[in-house]
Amino acid sequence: MSNLIEELKNSSQLKNLFFRLLVVLIICIALSFLTEAFFTTNNLLNVLRQASLLFLLASGLTLVVLTAGIDLSVGANLGMSACLAALVMTNTGSTLLGFMAGIGCGTLIGFGNGLLVTALRLPSFIATYGMLWILHGITYYFMGGTTLGGFDKSFRFIGTGYLYGIPVPIYIMTIFIIAGSIFTKYSIYGQQVYAVGANPVSARLSGVPVNRRLMLVYVLSGLTAGLASLVFLARLNSAEGDIGETLTLPAIAAVLIGGTSLFGGVGSILGTLIGALILTLVLNGMNILTINGNYQALVTGVIIILSVFLDLFFRKKSNT
Amino acid sequence: MKNHHIVFATAFSLALASTQAIADGEKIAIFTKNQTNPYFQAFRLGSDSAAKQMNASTIHYVPTKPDSIPEQLGEIDDVVVKKPNGIVLIPVDYKAIVPGVKKINDAGIPVVNATDRAESGNFVNWVGADDYSTALAAGQALVKALGGKGNVVIIEGVRGVIGNTNRINGFKKAIEEAPGIKLLASQPGNYQRLQALQVMENLIQTYPKIDGVMAANDAMAGGVIEALEGSNRKSLIVGINGSKEAVEAIKAGKMLASGDAAPFLQGCFSTMSILRSIRNMPVPKEIIFPPMLVEKSTLANYDIAPEKQTCPAWNTIVK
Amino acid sequence: MRDLTLPQNSTVANLMQRIPGVAIMLIICILGFALLSPDFLSMRNIANVGVQSAILLMISLPMTLVIMTEGIDMSIGAVLTFCGVVAAYVLGQTHNLPIAIVIAVGVGLVIGLMNGAIIVYANMPPFVVTLGTLGICQSLALILTDGQSLTDVGDSIGLAYNGHLLGIPLPIYFALISYLVSYVLLYHTRFGTYVCAIGGNRDALKLAGVRVNLHHVAVYAFSGVMAGVASILLTARMSAGHPTAAIGMEFDAIAAVIVGGTSFEKGNGWLFGTFLGVLTVGVLRNGLNLVGVQSSVQVASIGLLVLVALLLDSLKSKA
Repeated sequence: MSNLIEELKNSSQLKNLFFRLLVVLIICIALSFLTEAFFTTNNLLNVLRQASLLFLLASGLTLVVLTAGIDLSVGANLGMSACLAALVMTNTGSTLLGFMAGIGCGTLIGFGNGLLVTALRLPSFIATYGMLWILHGITYYFMGGTTLGGFDKSFRFIGTGYLYGIPVPIYIMTIFIIAGSIFTKYSIYGQQVYAVGANPVSARLSGVPVNRRLMLVYVLSGLTAGLASLVFLARLNSAEGDIGETLTLPAIAAVLIGGTSLFGGVGSILGTLIGALILTLVLNGMNILTINGNYQALVTGVIIILSVFLDLFFRKKSNT
Repeated sequence: MKNHHIVFATAFSLALASTQAIADGEKIAIFTKNQTNPYFQAFRLGSDSAAKQMNASTIHYVPTKPDSIPEQLGEIDDVVVKKPNGIVLIPVDYKAIVPGVKKINDAGIPVVNATDRAESGNFVNWVGADDYSTALAAGQALVKALGGKGNVVIIEGVRGVIGNTNRINGFKKAIEEAPGIKLLASQPGNYQRLQALQVMENLIQTYPKIDGVMAANDAMAGGVIEALEGSNRKSLIVGINGSKEAVEAIKAGKMLASGDAAPFLQGCFSTMSILRSIRNMPVPKEIIFPPMLVEKSTLANYDIAPEKQTCPAWNTIVK
Repeated sequence: MRDLTLPQNSTVANLMQRIPGVAIMLIICILGFALLSPDFLSMRNIANVGVQSAILLMISLPMTLVIMTEGIDMSIGAVLTFCGVVAAYVLGQTHNLPIAIVIAVGVGLVIGLMNGAIIVYANMPPFVVTLGTLGICQSLALILTDGQSLTDVGDSIGLAYNGHLLGIPLPIYFALISYLVSYVLLYHTRFGTYVCAIGGNRDALKLAGVRVNLHHVAVYAFSGVMAGVASILLTARMSAGHPTAAIGMEFDAIAAVIVGGTSFEKGNGWLFGTFLGVLTVGVLRNGLNLVGVQSSVQVASIGLLVLVALLLDSLKSKA
């Protein structure tokens, strides 16, 4: 046990996370200065709950990026899975079937992506980009301009419920953080995912079943998108054709701001959490400070660049 | 004698055939802004219904990237090559569409302008309502229900889209008219339900008392409803679109009203206008639908799904 | 009698091997649409496709170079939009086309330099930096226009899009010149050699004493400049500057580049492939419009096209 603690202390990954956390703290402190509405229990819980949806969507995506790939279809995946789950629940009245439909759809899409990348050897950008358009097309075709809504209270609990005063999505997020971190850092699968990202050739030579691990990450990415779609559905109580479109870029941004590199082999689930937090804090801050709509993209863009810059800056300082 | 009969018969059937050819089977190209806004969905259904009633057919042109101006202009280029009998055009942007309208005019294809008035061009007529007055009506309903006093927030749509700008202006005018109403904040929800929900949650953190919310479309109003319910707060909410979902929400007392710009009827009458024009029947220069409010008192009229509606007769609206 | 049976397998298979997937898709699309639509091969339509694809080509070419350096420029759509808005604004203030062009291109250059400087000297991931710049440019465009179209552009700029020289539309000249410039830059200058090497062999370059950083920054600057030039065409097309006109176009550009055979990993690039990729997407959209395919199906088809093109390549390398 003490070995573990020692290892944790010396781990450079942890140090890196610390600096990223510092960025989050800076943003929080700044916001607390600018407005007293920020630093209240309610608002902090509010931010955490909003971040949890983004985090869930981005958690599986992190694994894909760790292998030097990308999954552009996560937003469209969420949209389609949510619409399918909504259709099933509206037509059968069964929450369980809805759950299965959402997660099943997400996982299947992930599996499809995995096939395109491993069996058909397509570059992940194109494979998931093509998948994105196809998913959109199918979703639009079946949904048209209609909205499905009005779900069971029991289903909605995962999105709107509270346990001991804390919103349920935060618990879900915590579970995923723990599970995801254990998976990536301490399971053999996780180690192999990192290896594939860092150097697929030497990974294969050392016996890592590269294709199986690649398939795994795409399936997991799809699965988390499917799960996120259920939380989304539970929160919003309705589904329509265009949901999810606007979530892909923030999900990717969360992963990258969190320190996972597009070149693979470097990054962490906790990093993605921090990325999601930063993006959610920015939106929260802009709304509370009622920043004019025209300026909001600029603020977000500047903070994205600054966050990553500061993080690199701190890291360099600590290493010299 | 027989020859005369044959000649007469031939001439008669030719004449009949040619009138048939003129009066039936026209292809009308319908341009709308995007695939997912229920407003345009209703418009398209209206245009389909009208075409069916008049024995013509419609082809729909919708940008694959929602509200994409270059795509719509590209579709116009392509349509001009195809030469449909007529066009019904809802421009993504009323100013940027001008070169596109010129192309249509130069190609000699008759065109009706719907929903957003293009800045210039030759049109058979204009059929529409007005984002500004629809929003104004919805805003005024909210102000009235609040008794002219209280705190209000606006949830905006997408910046840069002209319909949104007009709606915000309409909301703001309604607020201006009531000195007892205070506008706390106007924040973008980008017409997205999720974003509107999160924005509303954030605003709830800041303002302990929000009496009214003006949402630029019903999807966002839906998000606002969820945010309020989730935080155990109450506000009066108005939206725009008059969608089925809004109807349900108003029935359930969760929403006050929704501004309806009559998209289904606009679809009907713009298509009827273009077909009538092609068939040399009289068409008024403008058909303006006054802004209507979907609220508790008018619910009965709206409680039919657009798919099941059919277009009313021409002379019920056009005198 | 001569034996007319050719050894089918070898010739056809050989040919298939040498033709890249994107070219096969292009040929299939052209043949298919020519059969399905009588207007497809008309002069007018061919000119349309060329003209519509010109803007996308002009930003896809520098994107090829950027991707070859293992980078990416997510901001190019927003830069294109912003420069277009700047051009319209300057035209509205000065009514002087040459000045507007210079300023628009200048703005593009500055933003490109900024991207490059931050990526290279602060050693930050290109995706993140250009994502940030995307937001910044989007806002700047909205602020400059306050969400509306700027239409006071005068008549001369429209010529860039609608004018003809020797019967060929001007945008096609723009596209051709852009291609030639990119081709010469990439294959006939030292800069081009470095671009290929930055992607795979940065350290070797440094050891050889090359000012790698400057060249690396220049790649992004090139991207910005091309966006500036393309923005003139965009503004000419709409006869207006609009703050959301080209948002999202970066994805089309990236897809065209990758479908054309350039890949992120290996740093190899094929400029002509990018050209084919852009053309294929343009032909597909145009063809689907002419045939009258429903918008949701169009959306799915684009995805399919992209997948099949690369599938063909990957199958060939296996065979």
